[in-house]
Amino acid sequence: MKTKTAQGRFPTLTTTGEWQMAEDKSGFETIAGTARSRRELLKAGGSTLALAAVGTVAAPAVLRAQAPTVKIGGIGPLTGALAYNGNQAKAAMQFAIDDANAAGGIKSMGGAKLELLFGDAESRPDVGAAQVDKLAEAGVCCLVGAQSSAISLATTQAAARFNLPQVVDVGTADQIVQRGLPNVFRFSPGTARSVAEGIANLNTLNEQAGKPVKTVAIVHEDGPFGSSMARLLQEKLPSIGMNVVETISHPTPQRDFTNIVLRLKNARPDLVMPSHYINEFILFARTIRQQRFAPKAIYSIFGGGASNIKFVRENQDAAQFVIDTNHWYDPRKPASQALARKVADAKLDLTYDIMVAYGATQVVIDAIEKAGSADRAKLIETLSTQTFADTVMPYGPIKFVGGDNTGSHLVNLQVRGDKIEVIFPKEYATIDPVFPFPDRS
Amino acid sequence: MRRLGPGEGVVGILLALAAISPFVLPSQAWIGFAVNAVLISVLSIAWNVTGGFCGQMSFGHAALYGTGAYAAAMLQLRLGLNPYLAGIVGIAAGAAMGGFIGALAFRYGLRGSYFALVTLAFAEVLRILASSFEITGAGSGLTLPFRPGLANLQFPDRYAAYVFVLILCILALAVSAAVKGSRLGSNMVAVRENEEAAGAIGIDAFRVKVVAMIISGAIAGAAGVAYLQIQLFIDAPIAYGSLISVEALLGPIIGGAGTLLGPVVGTVVLHIVGEVVKTGVGGAPGLNLVFYGIVLLLILRFLPNGLMGLAGNLRWPARTASAARSAEAR
Repeated sequence: MKTKTAQGRFPTLTTTGEWQMAEDKSGFETIAGTARSRRELLKAGGSTLALAAVGTVAAPAVLRAQAPTVKIGGIGPLTGALAYNGNQAKAAMQFAIDDANAAGGIKSMGGAKLELLFGDAESRPDVGAAQVDKLAEAGVCCLVGAQSSAISLATTQAAARFNLPQVVDVGTADQIVQRGLPNVFRFSPGTARSVAEGIANLNTLNEQAGKPVKTVAIVHEDGPFGSSMARLLQEKLPSIGMNVVETISHPTPQRDFTNIVLRLKNARPDLVMPSHYINEFILFARTIRQQRFAPKAIYSIFGGGASNIKFVRENQDAAQFVIDTNHWYDPRKPASQALARKVADAKLDLTYDIMVAYGATQVVIDAIEKAGSADRAKLIETLSTQTFADTVMPYGPIKFVGGDNTGSHLVNLQVRGDKIEVIFPKEYATIDPVFPFPDRS
Repeated sequence: MRRLGPGEGVVGILLALAAISPFVLPSQAWIGFAVNAVLISVLSIAWNVTGGFCGQMSFGHAALYGTGAYAAAMLQLRLGLNPYLAGIVGIAAGAAMGGFIGALAFRYGLRGSYFALVTLAFAEVLRILASSFEITGAGSGLTLPFRPGLANLQFPDRYAAYVFVLILCILALAVSAAVKGSRLGSNMVAVRENEEAAGAIGIDAFRVKVVAMIISGAIAGAAGVAYLQIQLFIDAPIAYGSLISVEALLGPIIGGAGTLLGPVVGTVVLHIVGEVVKTGVGGAPGLNLVFYGIVLLLILRFLPNGLMGLAGNLRWPARTASAARSAEAR
């Protein structure tokens, strides 16, 4: 509070340009400062015209020299069950901000530098909400995060109290954008659209290959994610002519998939659709190989198997040809390739957390550039009315309608050799899909 | 009734200071943590009624907390009930769940670690059920519509939420004090110290334990309702997760189980230690939890009766002197 008032007063002693800038930052905190500024400005202006003239000439130089730092708040789980995702996202946000600073900062604000302040939500919504208070008081102009639906629901609501915009990187629960909160902007797609897209893509792949898949088995974990995904799949698969012949649920963690795979061998589905977390997926994929079960394809939505480079590296044989539908960047863009190099230099895994968080931060930086201000209300207005520039993601024009990015969508990934390749949609594909799988037995 | 020692007085004053500090300090940054700490204090007070007074250590207080939260959420969303009414039913649901688990477990004579395991199992079963059925929102949980205003028991700013949980905490303490001072409270202590002896002097141990679970369930249910009204979102891991059960018992054990203020002291100290350590270690994620664990170990090693045990060791210096003089005179 004190420093802000001081900043508000200081420029009036030199130039009018500076004074206006201080008022722009305003908010309630600088009211006292600007009131005094006006008086002093009149005094100064009345006494010497010459000084004022010198001041005006000097203004741009002073502006450049004193370009303020713009603080962006990152939020996510650095500890607890989701720590991996949170740490990945934090690194990505820092990359995006470093890149923007290296490119000259925010040009519309006289080259203002950006700074990331990150709050650890400890994988808990209530802690995430409390961190928002801290970040808001530290003066961030916008939030990016929080890599999980539950945490994002809480942080966006807490941010609404400060009129603080939040660009949600990954948060698939559709309620996030259905509460009428004006400060919420979701960068990546929600569950309903993701499942619809995943099934439509599956249908296209199947039709292109001459409809080899007619029967499906769903294997899912019995927690929130797996159960809701299984229900949606059961509902929608018949509409693309696929018959669900077996649905098997298991707890997380599950230590042995032998019986599940034996049941699958018995049911002989053409396609297996797994919905569980990465550790279970690795075990499941390996058991499928060990038991010499050879479905025509393995296809998941948010399955994580074919979008996790660690799985691909460590389980070459079991991972081959597995297909996932997930968040992913457009690997052909130069910015994406630069990001991939940076991630490799930092010895991190290149996961979708990094890509989406990087893209979401790019949008925030672009919004600040367009608004020419770090004012929260102006940023909300900019984010809700404007269309945003290219990010690393394979998104169409990025426009937030009702808080949801209408340009966002998922892509299909397939494990090929030791690489994860984009196979679908065609405009982003790096390789042709292999569907159905070649005989692997 | 026993006169309060200086230690309890000091603790009471410190707690009161801590309670008003968010209004005095210029920073808003800590208000969110204050809300969380007080909310968990309410849950700790609930645990203390069964675990502290009555000696029935539960590992599944999330079952009571989550039931309160889910009942209030479902009534508002599915039946359009007024949040106040839904909150009261939520508290009643917590009490009913407490009574049900207690009656079932104690009817079959489960004690000690067996009781702890059964409560843990109940919380886990409820967690899986809540994440499986459409009526509980299945995997995606339940979100209350955001309609700030006291008419909807939602809080436009953090201070209002803080006042709400503070009042709730004081009410819970009042209930806890009333129980402790009553005949029922004495019966609970008797059951805790020696259930057979208590039975021999005519105390219906089963009834006492079930009533303790009902009271505890009501307070825990109230904490669940308060969480719901503040965060407006619950899902199965948040409401019934084992983290909640652990938080419920950490406060009383660190603060001093069976004492009135122990649960609050323990919870508040743990939250403050957690935050201070987090601020202190800065960037390295997870390091704060290591320090947090070390502090926990130290307290458990050197303060077996909790922080209230330490406070209870303090004596009035003047009184001791006068007592010594009177002893000399005799």
